[in-house]
Amino acid sequence: MILQAVLFYILAILTAVSAVAVVVTQNIVRAATWLLFALAGTAGIFFHLGADFIGATQLLIYVGGTLVLVVFGVMLTAQGPFVNLRISAAEWAISLAVGLLLYGVLAVSLLQVDPPLITTPVEDSRPAPGMPGRSLAGSKHLGAAMLGDRHTTPDATLSAGGVVGDQKRTKMHYLLPFEIVSVHLLVVLIGAAYLARAKRKRGVTP
Amino acid sequence: MPDFFARPGLLFVLATILPLVSFLLILLASGAWCLARKYRETLGEGPYRFFGGDKPGKLPAYVALAAIFLAFVCCATGFVLYYLDHHKYLHDVEHAEHQIEELEHQLHETEDEATKKQLETNLNDYKKGIPSREREWQRLRKEKWQGTLFTLASIRPSALVDKERGTKLEIGYYIDSLATVMFVMVTFIATLIHLFSIGYMSEEEEEIVEDHYVHGEDGGHYKRRGRFGRFFMYLSLFCFSMLNLILADNLFQVFVSWELVGVCSFLLIGFYFERQSASNAANKAFITNRVGDAGFILGLLIVFGYIGTFNFEGIFTQLRAPIRDAHNSVKTSPVAGRIVRGEVLPLPEEEGGGPGFRFDEKGSQVLLFGRRPHVDVEDVLPTEADGSPRFLTDHGEPQTLTNNPGPADKSTMPYWMLVAAGLGIFLGCVGKSAQFPLQVWLPDAMEGPTPVSALIHAATMVAAGVYLVGRCYPMFTPDVLLVIAYTGAITLFVAASIAIVMTDIKKVLAYSTVSQLGYMMLALGVGGWVAGLFHLVTHAFFKALLFLGSGSVIYGCHHEQDMSKMGGLYPKMKITALTMLAGVLAIAGIPLFSGWYSKDSILAHAIGFAYVHPQHILLFLLPLFTAGITTFYMFRMWFLTFTGEPRDEHVYEHAHESPWTMTTPLILLAICSIAIAWGWPVWDAKSSWLEHKLHTAQHHAVKADFGHVASHHETWPAEAAKPLRFNERHWAHELHDHAGFLALFMVAIGIVFAVLTYYSRVLDPAEAKEQFPGVHAFLVNKWYFDHLYSVCLVRPAIIVARAFRSFDLNCIDGLIHAVSRGTVQLARGNGRFDNGFIDWLVNLTANVTYSVGARLRAVQTGFLRSYVLFLVLAAIGCFVVLSYFVAMATAG
Amino acid sequence: MTITLNHYLLLGAILFVCGAVCMATKRNAIGVLMGVELVLNAATVNFVAFAHYNPSFEIEGQIFAMFVIVMAAAEAAIALAIVLNFYNNHATVDIDTAEELKG
Repeated sequence: MILQAVLFYILAILTAVSAVAVVVTQNIVRAATWLLFALAGTAGIFFHLGADFIGATQLLIYVGGTLVLVVFGVMLTAQGPFVNLRISAAEWAISLAVGLLLYGVLAVSLLQVDPPLITTPVEDSRPAPGMPGRSLAGSKHLGAAMLGDRHTTPDATLSAGGVVGDQKRTKMHYLLPFEIVSVHLLVVLIGAAYLARAKRKRGVTP
Repeated sequence: MPDFFARPGLLFVLATILPLVSFLLILLASGAWCLARKYRETLGEGPYRFFGGDKPGKLPAYVALAAIFLAFVCCATGFVLYYLDHHKYLHDVEHAEHQIEELEHQLHETEDEATKKQLETNLNDYKKGIPSREREWQRLRKEKWQGTLFTLASIRPSALVDKERGTKLEIGYYIDSLATVMFVMVTFIATLIHLFSIGYMSEEEEEIVEDHYVHGEDGGHYKRRGRFGRFFMYLSLFCFSMLNLILADNLFQVFVSWELVGVCSFLLIGFYFERQSASNAANKAFITNRVGDAGFILGLLIVFGYIGTFNFEGIFTQLRAPIRDAHNSVKTSPVAGRIVRGEVLPLPEEEGGGPGFRFDEKGSQVLLFGRRPHVDVEDVLPTEADGSPRFLTDHGEPQTLTNNPGPADKSTMPYWMLVAAGLGIFLGCVGKSAQFPLQVWLPDAMEGPTPVSALIHAATMVAAGVYLVGRCYPMFTPDVLLVIAYTGAITLFVAASIAIVMTDIKKVLAYSTVSQLGYMMLALGVGGWVAGLFHLVTHAFFKALLFLGSGSVIYGCHHEQDMSKMGGLYPKMKITALTMLAGVLAIAGIPLFSGWYSKDSILAHAIGFAYVHPQHILLFLLPLFTAGITTFYMFRMWFLTFTGEPRDEHVYEHAHESPWTMTTPLILLAICSIAIAWGWPVWDAKSSWLEHKLHTAQHHAVKADFGHVASHHETWPAEAAKPLRFNERHWAHELHDHAGFLALFMVAIGIVFAVLTYYSRVLDPAEAKEQFPGVHAFLVNKWYFDHLYSVCLVRPAIIVARAFRSFDLNCIDGLIHAVSRGTVQLARGNGRFDNGFIDWLVNLTANVTYSVGARLRAVQTGFLRSYVLFLVLAAIGCFVVLSYFVAMATAG
Repeated sequence: MTITLNHYLLLGAILFVCGAVCMATKRNAIGVLMGVELVLNAATVNFVAFAHYNPSFEIEGQIFAMFVIVMAAAEAAIALAIVLNFYNNHATVDIDTAEELKG
């Protein structure tokens, strides 16, 4: 119990501090490094929440993919004058004020609203949410959910054809959106490659 | 190829079409010539030369002549074929009729009962024989000499299931003795006139023709290209129209041809349209005819509306009671063949109810005989003792009127409507045949070339009116016939009186034509149907002769028409003079000349009518007196032209006989004028072969109206039978002789006066003129008809027209101008409103938008980072506002 | 000392505000991009936290988190491509110079 809380605070502080550092640092390369920590901290939070698959995905895609992409971008553009682009103190002050205001609003609204009423299914034998040992559905159940099994339990077994005892399996749930997202990603990547390619000037023959 | 042997009537159709073909050929050729001339530059001279070149060629004349001659050949062939067909039937029937008359006479005389019985048996045999022969002939005639060529339209209300009902517009042909005679007459005379025209119109062949009557602006004579081809084109169309009119089997076709004839006369009278007088005369002829045609078309509409057909036979069978009963034996009913008047009354219930018909001689309704082929004699007998309604019955079966309607779904028509229809159609004929009061156009029509005058006055246009009256005779009620008779009588006297003082050779002839047409109308009106049409034919020949003769004189005297400048021309143009003398003798009614036979016949009918109706004695006296006048003015014309001292040396010096193309027609026509009416014995005025021939075409209605009524019908009102008795043979013969004698007496007086005045110069016409200046002026001014019309009609019309014009100019135009000005003002106001208010509003919107945009553009800094800040602020704002509302909601 | 949903949400809020302020303060285009990533991460944290504390949306929360991550990757790729293009054309990554659409 205590361990859970300690772990949460460590991860939360790491993440928050890194995020603030991203904002505060003036050097873009350093900001990228701080971002790495912030993202990794977030992944840790996911693990802490029991969402193993999401945490892994976060690490793989964000830390391993997106961030590397950002770092590449930094490297490609980080020539002398652009590494430290500064802004005026007034701008800083305004931004900070607006940010704090936003945070205040968010925090007040969060703390004033009661946490959602949680109705735990009767047959759910797992610990209540927020209790230690309570973990979200693992990657296996995520996959089953994608195939349409809404109410999967940890005991559900997978065979070659799908979920055994598939009376519960009523419809395909998230497979199609997932496919669409993946195709979308592909299109985006191709588009990015097209956008970013070096343009040859027309009319000039080598 | 139509079978001319099975349907020889088609020969006449062919004869009708031939002039049309000629017309179209010439028309197309002249059209091609015009095109070739217009595009001479591009096409070259070749096509232009091919279609005639500069000089009008003779070819159109030959084409037209060939067409009309071929038509004549067709007609002559058709005439012979028809004659052969008809002859045998006629012979049998005439024999039978003669026998019946003989037997009836004997029956009347004899006292012995046995002989009486024998005679009656014989009589019945003959009486039965005639109908069967007649039926056979009718069938044959329908098959061979009658038919429909096209059906233009068929109008049948959809409610009528019966296909025979409803009305049709058709082009058909109907050939009877009258049509054959008319065909031969028209084509023969037209052929001769064509031939004559080739000579007479030779001036028109020149490349440049000088018109001496028209002066150009520089004072010189008007010059134009010769119109040889055009003349013959019009002639062909004229012939076609006239032949189609004779051919027609229905009033609709007649009306079409009628109007075509009118148009052709307009074109031909105005042939020298550059002359003011010619174009005026053409307009006058056309407009005067319009007056008549208005009546004609009203008559047509009435006929169409009530009887529902235009077909002559259809109309006549509707209007006239049948002369045969259901068993096809001759009727003895007094109404057989007559128009039946009466009242429509409801039938009593025991007879089945519905409308019935009671005979009444003064009734307001005319019975239409429906589509029933036979009506029993009893149907329309007036012999009901108590005057109760009589019913139409067929074979004894009670039948209501509605069971048996005609094509227009009517069983009766108002009598006054029938009178109006008859008067309307007669008004058309009055216009065409130049009868009083529409006679004014014909003398003016002399402005056309002389052959045209001959054609119009002899064979075609004026004949059309008389012909139509003859054709439509069964449609005319007694009232209408009386109007016709009086119109004819007045016309013949007025025209003859004017002819006495005319000095223009063609005008004398024109008035004589009007006068002779009056004779014909008179004859038709008093029941001399045959006499009128007989005179039409004989008159056609001698009037054509006279006109062509005058044409020859005019041609020989270089277009001098005034008789006061002629005189003593006999040695110079003997053929013309002698042939014209034949024409003069014929028109005067000298025995053995054709005019004698026909005029005698007319006068006989007139005296018969006057004998029965003494109150109408004028109908005999006027024609009798006018016979003398006719003789006088015709001899006056001849003497003035050909005898005595030449009154104008210049004319006399240059006078010459005409070429053969002109004298040949004269000689042929002279022969016809003398001999056309001959029969055997020649000296008997009643034995004319032609008259006999025409008699066979007479509709039985004529006989029913004016013929004999069996005397044993004592129930018939005595007055009704009275007009009909005179025509019984012995009466007729006696009257005929009286009339002939009186006429001869008048003619002799006329000749004597003419000889005394203009040949031997015992009497001086100038003295007469001085003694009666009023009468002379009255006659020279044509009874002041033109003045009268000018004062009564033309000037009021012009005044009214002026009034309307000023009304148009001031009121209508003023109104329109006011409206347009108002519109312009309104539009201006509208424009101001548009410019001022609407545009201001639009500009205001645009300006507001622009200024707001200009203010707002400061917000668009272009800095991405500030946008982010705005976003965040907006989110915060949303939060605050929303939470406020949520708080309100939860609190509320 | 129980960790409730609000703790996670507060963390998400911190991340979100940091991202927003990062976007507002960085002149470097890639810095702005980093701010975007932080904002997206805040959203992801919220999704997963809600999924954890609400079993009814256990699966949905994770799936949407995943979608957000994927979208973020796509966005990053496109944004970087745009930045590179911008750099090629303007020879700078200072977004204050990208003011052609200024009103």
